[in-house]
Amino acid sequence: MGEIGLLLGSTLALSAPLMLAALGGYTSERSGVINIALEGMMITSCCATALIGLATGSAWLGVAGGLTSAVLLSMLHWLLTQNYRMNPIISGMGINAVALGGTNYMSQRLITVDTPDKIPVLPESLYYVLAVSLPVLVAIYAATTRGGLWLKAAGGDPRKARLAGLRPDRIRLGGLFATGVFSGLSGVLIVTHASRYVDGMTDGRGYIALAALILGGWKPVRAAVACLAFGFFSALQIQFQGTNLFGAQLPSEVWSSFPFVATVFALALLSGQSSAPPGLGKL
Amino acid sequence: MKASFAANGRNLALLAGSAGVLFAALQMSGTPPVDVLTGLAKGSMGSPAAWSGTLRETAPLLLAGVAVMLGLRAGLFNIGVEGQLLVGALTCAVTAIHLPGAGGLLAGLVTGALGGALWAAPAGLIKAYRGGHEVITTIMLNSIAALFTASLVTKVFRDPTQQSVTTSYIAQRMPMATPGAVEINAALVAGLLAALWLAWWLRRTVAGYELMAVGENPVAAEFAGIDRRVVQVKAMLMSGALAGLAGALQVAAVEHRYYDGFSPGYGFDALGVALLAGAHPLALVPSALLFGVLEKGGSAIQILGVPKGIVGVVLGVVIVVSAAFRTRKGGGDHG
Repeated sequence: MGEIGLLLGSTLALSAPLMLAALGGYTSERSGVINIALEGMMITSCCATALIGLATGSAWLGVAGGLTSAVLLSMLHWLLTQNYRMNPIISGMGINAVALGGTNYMSQRLITVDTPDKIPVLPESLYYVLAVSLPVLVAIYAATTRGGLWLKAAGGDPRKARLAGLRPDRIRLGGLFATGVFSGLSGVLIVTHASRYVDGMTDGRGYIALAALILGGWKPVRAAVACLAFGFFSALQIQFQGTNLFGAQLPSEVWSSFPFVATVFALALLSGQSSAPPGLGKL
Repeated sequence: MKASFAANGRNLALLAGSAGVLFAALQMSGTPPVDVLTGLAKGSMGSPAAWSGTLRETAPLLLAGVAVMLGLRAGLFNIGVEGQLLVGALTCAVTAIHLPGAGGLLAGLVTGALGGALWAAPAGLIKAYRGGHEVITTIMLNSIAALFTASLVTKVFRDPTQQSVTTSYIAQRMPMATPGAVEINAALVAGLLAALWLAWWLRRTVAGYELMAVGENPVAAEFAGIDRRVVQVKAMLMSGALAGLAGALQVAAVEHRYYDGFSPGYGFDALGVALLAGAHPLALVPSALLFGVLEKGGSAIQILGVPKGIVGVVLGVVIVVSAAFRTRKGGGDHG
């Protein structure tokens, strides 16, 4: 029983950042903006939460700083893709490069050996409650409210949405604002869980969240379930490291590559196009 | 006319904002900005040894940049160059260790290119026949390649006599030119040849024309009797082969072995090289050289206490600003 409890606990700890980030991907891509910049927003939020928290000694200010920094990057993505009409992949790559380089730069300049290790944080359980409840709430919002329909209209066919009198670029501004908040929360959780900042600590999890979003067919609750599956397999890997399973010892890399292999197979078997928002990447 | 003035203003605003970000970063470094810039220039171009280092950084970026551009001209974002390069490098090292002599080295280069192509194949097939976005598949294949090569070099091909996680060294060496004490290795020559070849191939062959036609407008290309799917798969395979070759040459001409953490992100930088170069293959040469200068100079200024991350910031800004200026030039208003 103890072992199962431990497994479930670490599953939640490993899944929650992915669930929040995947939700960030959802509000962006559902409104039609391809977003590979989740990774950059997450690491920036980690770094800002740590730096501002350490500088002010206030957990609330740290969290506010982390969320703000991610929202600012998300707004930059909106500006570049919707106003400058730049290819969203190029914009996302640029943002990721600036974010990864910039956080490396800032953290090495400002976090030194004499800086006390303790970052002021809010209780971790708060984020787990959010990670589990938000996908359901967002799904209800998307299905039942006017704002949710607007989001889907902008991502479904921006031209038709325009003919119906909507402004897809403004709707996407809202979607990307939410992306900043959700991916920012994911970064805050990651730094809260580790209770210190480590360079590159998001470790590609923004891309895994994107994979979960696709596996979940661009639906919030299904994406969250995919995140839970990824988290469960990572937890299994940690728990069973070095022990024999089914008579053979699987290398840890096999476990780690599971989310990626599953996504490639899903894309190959399920046909990626059918469930993707039709207006994805269109202006 | 009015729209173009507005666009100019927007791009200038972006340029000013980027300059502000970079200036603030330089200010924050704690080292006078002039010292940072001179340190960067001296560290990358100040002496024959510095130039040798810069060109060593440039070589894999140029060849991998050719790989990215070939995909881009077919309308495909091959973000998987990093993974294809890793697979090509490991394949080449293992082949050249087990097959002696020049023949073994040649076999290493060929199998390296094949390994890269093989690693790119799922992305091409899924894009062409299932409609799955190649950016997602190649990001996934990158992660799988990193884990796969790390696993192989740790558990199968590791040289137990070495302290670090690495294969044994290959015995073969490739020729190197040294005009004025500046080292020019075979990988750089191959990169230059590849850029020339791509420029010729795109403009002067039917296959190159078909590839560009699919990249410009897949629907129109279909009506012109071109099989979009075949062209897309072919483009992805060729791009992967070039990326694999870049990794293989890095082993054959520079590193002479494969080790854990082989690529510091050549494949990702190559995306920046290709995006900065724009549409013409020959523009890859100055673009790759700029990246080489920044990489080598960036390592040099670490001694001044300036973290390496500043290079990432500069590259990201360069990618975005150059894309903004190109979008205005090339694209109509979809408003």
